[in-house]
Amino acid sequence: MCDACGCGDSHHIHETKTVEVNQSLLKSNEEAARANKKHFDDKGVLSINLISSPGSGKTTLLEKTIESMRDKVSIGVLEGDIETDLDAERIRAKGAPAVQLTTGGACHLDSSLVHKGFHSLEHQMSGEKLDLLFIENVGNLVCPSFFDLGEHVRVVLISVPEGHDKPLKYPKAIKTSHLLIITKSDLVPHFDFDMEKIKKDALALNPSLKVLITSAKTGEGLDEWFAFLQSLLSK
Amino acid sequence: MHEVSIALGMIEELEKIARENRATKVLKVNLKIGRLSGIVTDSLMFAFEAMKHEHPLLLSAEIVINEIPLVYRCNECNHTFETEDMYFPACPGCESYNLNIISGEEQHIENVEVEV
Repeated sequence: MCDACGCGDSHHIHETKTVEVNQSLLKSNEEAARANKKHFDDKGVLSINLISSPGSGKTTLLEKTIESMRDKVSIGVLEGDIETDLDAERIRAKGAPAVQLTTGGACHLDSSLVHKGFHSLEHQMSGEKLDLLFIENVGNLVCPSFFDLGEHVRVVLISVPEGHDKPLKYPKAIKTSHLLIITKSDLVPHFDFDMEKIKKDALALNPSLKVLITSAKTGEGLDEWFAFLQSLLSK
Repeated sequence: MHEVSIALGMIEELEKIARENRATKVLKVNLKIGRLSGIVTDSLMFAFEAMKHEHPLLLSAEIVINEIPLVYRCNECNHTFETEDMYFPACPGCESYNLNIISGEEQHIENVEVEV
Protein backbone atom coordinates (compact mmCIF):
# COMPACT_ATOMS: atom_id res chain seq x y z
CA MET A 1 0.00 0.00 0.00
CA CYS A 2 1.24 3.47 -0.84
CA ASP A 3 2.18 5.33 2.33
CA ALA A 4 1.29 8.72 0.94
CA CYS A 5 -2.24 8.19 -0.29
CA GLY A 6 -3.17 4.79 1.07
CA CYS A 7 -4.03 3.33 -2.32
CA GLY A 8 -3.38 -0.32 -3.09
CA ASP A 9 -0.60 0.33 -5.59
CA SER A 10 2.68 0.58 -3.73
CA HIS A 11 4.66 1.19 -6.88
CA HIS A 12 3.34 4.56 -8.02
CA ILE A 13 5.34 7.64 -7.25
CA HIS A 14 3.87 10.83 -5.88
CA GLU A 15 5.17 13.84 -7.68
CA THR A 16 5.18 17.44 -6.60
CA LYS A 17 3.63 20.00 -8.85
CA THR A 18 3.73 23.79 -8.56
CA VAL A 19 0.42 25.43 -9.37
CA GLU A 20 0.69 29.10 -10.37
CA VAL A 21 -2.05 31.01 -8.58
CA ASN A 22 -1.32 34.79 -8.47
CA GLN A 23 -4.52 35.50 -6.63
CA SER A 24 -5.29 38.12 -4.01
CA LEU A 25 -5.76 36.94 -0.42
CA LEU A 26 -8.85 39.12 -0.31
CA LYS A 27 -10.06 37.59 -3.58
CA SER A 28 -13.62 36.85 -2.58
CA ASN A 29 -14.25 40.38 -1.28
CA GLU A 30 -12.58 41.88 -4.34
CA GLU A 31 -14.68 39.78 -6.71
CA ALA A 32 -17.84 40.73 -4.86
CA ALA A 33 -16.79 44.40 -4.95
CA ARG A 34 -16.32 44.26 -8.72
CA ALA A 35 -19.74 42.64 -9.07
CA ASN A 36 -21.28 45.38 -6.90
CA LYS A 37 -19.71 48.14 -8.99
CA LYS A 38 -20.96 46.56 -12.19
CA HIS A 39 -24.42 46.25 -10.70
CA PHE A 40 -24.38 49.92 -9.66
CA ASP A 41 -23.22 50.93 -13.17
CA ASP A 42 -25.85 48.80 -14.86
CA LYS A 43 -28.55 50.47 -12.77
CA GLY A 44 -27.14 53.98 -13.22
CA VAL A 45 -26.55 54.39 -9.47
CA LEU A 46 -23.77 56.58 -8.03
CA SER A 47 -22.48 54.81 -4.92
CA ILE A 48 -20.68 56.56 -2.08
CA ASN A 49 -19.03 54.83 0.91
CA LEU A 50 -18.80 57.01 4.02
CA ILE A 51 -16.13 56.06 6.55
CA SER A 52 -15.21 57.65 9.85
CA SER A 53 -14.79 57.05 13.58
CA PRO A 54 -18.02 56.56 15.53
CA GLY A 55 -19.77 59.89 16.09
CA SER A 56 -18.05 62.00 13.42
CA GLY A 57 -21.38 62.98 11.87
CA LYS A 58 -21.99 60.57 8.97
CA THR A 59 -25.68 60.04 9.69
CA THR A 60 -26.26 63.72 10.41
CA LEU A 61 -24.63 64.64 7.10
CA LEU A 62 -26.92 62.16 5.33
CA GLU A 63 -29.96 63.65 7.09
CA LYS A 64 -29.00 67.12 5.84
CA THR A 65 -28.32 65.76 2.36
CA ILE A 66 -31.67 64.03 2.10
CA GLU A 67 -33.49 67.12 3.40
CA SER A 68 -31.88 69.28 0.77
CA MET A 69 -31.74 67.02 -2.26
CA ARG A 70 -34.57 64.53 -2.10
CA ASP A 71 -36.85 66.54 -4.38
CA LYS A 72 -34.29 66.44 -7.18
CA VAL A 73 -32.39 63.20 -6.54
CA SER A 74 -33.62 59.74 -5.54
CA ILE A 75 -31.48 58.72 -2.55
CA GLY A 76 -31.21 55.35 -0.82
CA VAL A 77 -29.00 54.39 2.12
CA LEU A 78 -27.36 51.20 3.37
CA GLU A 79 -26.61 51.68 7.07
CA GLY A 80 -23.78 49.63 8.58
CA ASP A 81 -23.61 49.07 12.33
CA ILE A 82 -22.63 46.33 14.72
CA GLU A 83 -26.00 46.52 16.43
CA THR A 84 -29.35 48.38 16.26
CA ASP A 85 -31.18 50.01 13.40
CA LEU A 86 -31.10 53.45 14.99
CA ASP A 87 -29.37 55.00 11.99
CA ALA A 88 -31.69 53.44 9.40
CA GLU A 89 -34.62 54.81 11.39
CA ARG A 90 -33.13 58.32 11.29
CA ILE A 91 -32.78 58.08 7.51
CA ARG A 92 -36.33 56.83 7.04
CA ALA A 93 -37.60 59.69 9.21
CA LYS A 94 -36.18 62.05 6.58
CA GLY A 95 -38.14 60.28 3.85
CA ALA A 96 -35.45 58.18 2.21
CA PRO A 97 -35.44 54.38 2.01
CA ALA A 98 -32.84 52.67 4.16
CA VAL A 99 -31.68 49.13 4.78
CA GLN A 100 -29.84 48.42 8.04
CA LEU A 101 -26.90 46.02 7.75
CA THR A 102 -25.97 44.75 11.20
CA THR A 103 -22.70 42.88 11.26
CA GLY A 104 -23.16 41.47 14.74
CA GLY A 105 -19.47 41.77 15.40
CA ALA A 106 -17.53 42.56 12.26
CA CYS A 107 -15.97 45.99 12.45
CA HIS A 108 -16.51 46.87 8.79
CA LEU A 109 -18.96 46.21 5.99
CA ASP A 110 -17.90 43.80 3.28
CA SER A 111 -18.98 43.50 -0.33
CA SER A 112 -21.19 40.50 0.15
CA LEU A 113 -23.22 42.24 2.84
CA VAL A 114 -23.52 45.32 0.61
CA HIS A 115 -24.67 43.10 -2.27
CA LYS A 116 -27.47 41.65 -0.15
CA GLY A 117 -28.37 45.07 1.22
CA PHE A 118 -28.58 46.61 -2.22
CA HIS A 119 -30.93 43.89 -3.43
CA SER A 120 -33.06 44.47 -0.37
CA LEU A 121 -33.13 48.21 -1.03
CA GLU A 122 -34.11 47.68 -4.69
CA HIS A 123 -36.89 45.42 -3.53
CA GLN A 124 -38.05 48.04 -1.02
CA MET A 125 -38.09 50.72 -3.71
CA SER A 126 -40.05 48.37 -6.01
CA GLY A 127 -39.04 49.66 -9.40
CA GLU A 128 -38.49 53.31 -8.48
CA LYS A 129 -35.21 54.55 -9.97
CA LEU A 130 -32.37 55.09 -7.51
CA ASP A 131 -29.88 57.82 -8.42
CA LEU A 132 -27.62 58.00 -5.38
CA LEU A 133 -26.71 55.23 -2.95
CA PHE A 134 -24.97 56.10 0.29
CA ILE A 135 -23.25 53.27 2.16
CA GLU A 136 -22.65 54.42 5.71
CA ASN A 137 -19.90 52.13 6.99
CA VAL A 138 -19.46 50.91 10.56
CA GLY A 139 -17.90 53.66 12.69
CA ASN A 140 -14.22 52.76 12.51
CA LEU A 141 -11.28 54.62 11.00
CA VAL A 142 -9.16 51.46 10.55
CA CYS A 143 -10.81 48.39 9.02
CA PRO A 144 -13.20 49.89 6.46
CA SER A 145 -10.13 51.32 4.68
CA PHE A 146 -9.05 47.81 3.75
CA PHE A 147 -12.31 46.59 2.24
CA ASP A 148 -13.50 47.72 -1.15
CA LEU A 149 -17.29 47.60 -1.31
CA GLY A 150 -17.51 48.35 -5.04
CA GLU A 151 -18.29 52.00 -4.35
CA HIS A 152 -17.56 54.73 -6.91
CA VAL A 153 -16.48 57.29 -4.35
CA ARG A 154 -15.15 56.97 -0.81
CA VAL A 155 -15.58 59.85 1.62
CA VAL A 156 -13.78 60.01 4.99
CA LEU A 157 -15.07 62.24 7.78
CA ILE A 158 -12.96 63.57 10.66
CA SER A 159 -14.68 65.80 13.20
CA VAL A 160 -12.99 68.74 14.96
CA PRO A 161 -13.14 67.17 18.48
CA GLU A 162 -11.18 64.15 17.19
CA GLY A 163 -8.12 66.29 16.63
CA HIS A 164 -6.00 67.43 13.72
CA ASP A 165 -3.53 64.53 14.09
CA LYS A 166 -5.95 61.90 12.75
CA PRO A 167 -4.76 61.82 9.11
CA LEU A 168 -1.21 60.89 10.16
CA LYS A 169 -2.49 58.30 12.62
CA TYR A 170 -4.96 56.72 10.19
CA PRO A 171 -3.22 57.12 6.86
CA LYS A 172 -4.96 54.29 5.02
CA ALA A 173 -8.35 55.96 5.53
CA ILE A 174 -6.96 59.15 3.96
CA LYS A 175 -5.08 57.44 1.15
CA THR A 176 -8.01 55.31 0.00
CA SER A 177 -10.56 58.16 0.02
CA HIS A 178 -11.46 60.72 -2.64
CA LEU A 179 -12.83 63.37 -0.29
CA LEU A 180 -12.11 64.36 3.33
CA ILE A 181 -14.87 66.22 5.14
CA ILE A 182 -13.79 67.99 8.34
CA THR A 183 -17.05 68.08 10.30
CA LYS A 184 -18.34 70.00 13.34
CA SER A 185 -16.38 73.10 12.29
CA ASP A 186 -18.55 75.17 14.64
CA LEU A 187 -16.58 73.60 17.53
CA VAL A 188 -13.18 74.99 16.45
CA PRO A 189 -13.25 77.75 19.13
CA HIS A 190 -13.53 75.08 21.85
CA PHE A 191 -10.59 72.92 20.80
CA ASP A 192 -6.90 73.30 19.99
CA PHE A 193 -7.58 72.33 16.41
CA ASP A 194 -5.14 73.36 13.68
CA MET A 195 -7.21 73.45 10.48
CA GLU A 196 -4.21 74.23 8.29
CA LYS A 197 -2.23 71.31 9.71
CA ILE A 198 -4.96 68.72 9.17
CA LYS A 199 -5.39 69.84 5.54
CA LYS A 200 -1.63 69.91 4.93
CA ASP A 201 -1.11 66.43 6.39
CA ALA A 202 -4.07 64.91 4.54
CA LEU A 203 -2.92 66.35 1.21
CA ALA A 204 0.66 65.18 1.83
CA LEU A 205 -0.67 61.63 2.23
CA ASN A 206 -3.03 61.93 -0.73
CA PRO A 207 -2.30 64.82 -3.10
CA SER A 208 -5.48 64.21 -5.10
CA LEU A 209 -7.74 64.32 -2.03
CA LYS A 210 -10.52 66.93 -2.05
CA VAL A 211 -11.17 68.60 1.29
CA LEU A 212 -14.40 70.20 2.56
CA ILE A 213 -15.11 71.82 5.93
CA THR A 214 -18.66 71.51 7.21
CA SER A 215 -20.91 72.15 10.15
CA ALA A 216 -24.34 70.54 10.21
CA LYS A 217 -25.21 72.99 12.99
CA THR A 218 -24.39 76.23 11.16
CA GLY A 219 -24.72 74.94 7.60
CA GLU A 220 -21.14 75.87 6.75
CA GLY A 221 -19.82 73.91 3.78
CA LEU A 222 -23.06 72.05 3.09
CA ASP A 223 -23.69 73.85 -0.20
CA GLU A 224 -20.22 72.82 -1.36
CA TRP A 225 -21.02 69.20 -0.39
CA PHE A 226 -24.30 69.28 -2.33
CA ALA A 227 -22.48 70.81 -5.31
CA PHE A 228 -19.86 68.06 -5.11
CA LEU A 229 -22.60 65.43 -5.23
CA GLN A 230 -24.36 67.17 -8.13
CA SER A 231 -21.13 67.31 -10.12
CA LEU A 232 -20.64 63.55 -9.62
CA LEU A 233 -24.25 62.83 -10.58
CA SER A 234 -23.98 64.80 -13.79
CA LYS A 235 -20.95 62.77 -14.99
CA MET B 1 -5.96 43.19 10.45
CA HIS B 2 -8.40 40.29 10.06
CA GLU B 3 -5.68 37.69 9.63
CA VAL B 4 -8.04 34.95 10.85
CA SER B 5 -10.61 35.62 8.12
CA ILE B 6 -7.80 35.93 5.57
CA ALA B 7 -6.42 32.56 6.73
CA LEU B 8 -9.90 31.02 6.43
CA GLY B 9 -10.25 32.38 2.89
CA MET B 10 -6.81 31.03 2.06
CA ILE B 11 -7.72 27.57 3.40
CA GLU B 12 -10.79 27.49 1.15
CA GLU B 13 -8.72 28.49 -1.86
CA LEU B 14 -6.05 25.85 -1.10
CA GLU B 15 -8.64 23.09 -0.84
CA LYS B 16 -10.14 24.22 -4.15
CA ILE B 17 -6.70 24.22 -5.80
CA ALA B 18 -5.94 20.78 -4.34
CA ARG B 19 -9.22 19.37 -5.68
CA GLU B 20 -8.74 20.94 -9.13
CA ASN B 21 -5.28 19.42 -9.39
CA ARG B 22 -6.26 16.09 -7.82
CA ALA B 23 -3.63 16.62 -5.17
CA THR B 24 -3.18 14.36 -2.17
CA LYS B 25 -1.47 17.00 -0.10
CA VAL B 26 -0.66 20.69 -0.14
CA LEU B 27 3.05 21.01 0.62
CA LYS B 28 3.97 24.67 0.34
CA VAL B 29 2.13 27.94 -0.15
CA ASN B 30 4.19 30.86 -1.40
CA LEU B 31 2.70 34.21 -0.47
CA LYS B 32 3.77 37.70 -1.46
CA ILE B 33 2.96 40.17 1.29
CA GLY B 34 4.00 43.81 1.01
CA ARG B 35 4.62 46.12 3.97
CA LEU B 36 1.67 48.31 3.01
CA SER B 37 -0.84 45.49 2.75
CA GLY B 38 -1.72 45.88 6.43
CA ILE B 39 -1.35 42.13 6.96
CA VAL B 40 0.59 41.12 10.07
CA THR B 41 2.54 38.09 8.78
CA ASP B 42 3.08 36.51 12.22
CA SER B 43 -0.66 36.61 12.92
CA LEU B 44 -1.44 35.15 9.52
CA MET B 45 0.99 32.24 10.06
CA PHE B 46 -0.36 31.67 13.55
CA ALA B 47 -3.98 31.67 12.35
CA PHE B 48 -3.19 29.29 9.50
CA GLU B 49 -1.27 26.87 11.73
CA ALA B 50 -4.11 26.88 14.23
CA MET B 51 -6.82 26.17 11.67
CA LYS B 52 -5.14 23.82 9.19
CA HIS B 53 -5.57 20.82 11.48
CA GLU B 54 -9.23 20.52 10.53
CA HIS B 55 -8.32 20.11 6.89
CA PRO B 56 -6.69 16.76 5.98
CA LEU B 57 -5.24 18.03 2.69
CA LEU B 58 -3.41 20.82 4.50
CA LEU B 59 -1.79 18.98 7.41
CA SER B 60 1.66 19.15 5.81
CA ALA B 61 1.20 22.61 4.31
CA GLU B 62 3.89 25.16 5.04
CA ILE B 63 3.34 28.86 4.44
CA VAL B 64 6.31 30.73 3.02
CA ILE B 65 5.97 34.48 3.06
CA ASN B 66 8.01 36.55 0.65
CA GLU B 67 7.95 40.00 2.26
CA ILE B 68 7.97 42.60 -0.48
CA PRO B 69 9.84 45.82 0.30
CA LEU B 70 8.25 49.21 0.04
CA VAL B 71 9.53 50.94 -3.08
CA TYR B 72 8.41 54.37 -4.26
CA ARG B 73 9.11 56.36 -7.42
CA CYS B 74 9.09 60.14 -7.17
CA ASN B 75 6.79 61.82 -9.68
CA GLU B 76 8.86 65.02 -9.52
CA CYS B 77 12.39 63.74 -10.12
CA ASN B 78 11.84 60.06 -11.11
CA HIS B 79 14.08 58.81 -8.32
CA THR B 80 13.18 55.27 -7.18
CA PHE B 81 13.88 54.34 -3.59
CA GLU B 82 13.16 51.72 -0.97
CA THR B 83 12.04 52.84 2.47
CA GLU B 84 10.90 51.58 5.87
CA ASP B 85 8.70 54.66 6.34
CA MET B 86 5.26 53.26 5.75
CA TYR B 87 3.16 56.23 4.78
CA PHE B 88 4.93 59.54 4.96
CA PRO B 89 8.24 59.34 3.15
CA ALA B 90 9.78 62.24 1.33
CA CYS B 91 11.84 61.67 -1.78
CA PRO B 92 15.50 61.47 -0.70
CA GLY B 93 16.40 63.18 -3.95
CA CYS B 94 14.14 66.23 -4.00
CA GLU B 95 12.08 66.09 -0.73
CA SER B 96 8.78 65.84 -2.62
CA TYR B 97 5.84 63.86 -1.21
CA ASN B 98 4.41 63.31 -4.66
CA LEU B 99 5.25 59.63 -4.93
CA ASN B 100 4.00 56.50 -6.72
CA ILE B 101 4.08 53.11 -5.02
CA ILE B 102 6.08 50.63 -7.13
CA SER B 103 5.90 47.71 -4.73
CA GLY B 104 4.75 47.02 -1.18
CA GLU B 105 0.99 46.65 -1.45
CA GLU B 106 1.01 43.00 -2.52
CA GLN B 107 -1.17 40.52 -0.67
CA HIS B 108 -1.48 37.44 -2.82
CA ILE B 109 -0.88 33.74 -3.20
CA GLU B 110 1.92 33.43 -5.72
CA ASN B 111 1.88 29.66 -6.18
CA VAL B 112 1.14 26.42 -4.38
CA GLU B 113 3.22 23.25 -4.32
CA VAL B 114 1.09 20.13 -4.17
CA GLU B 115 1.67 16.40 -4.15
CA VAL B 116 -0.18 14.58 -6.91
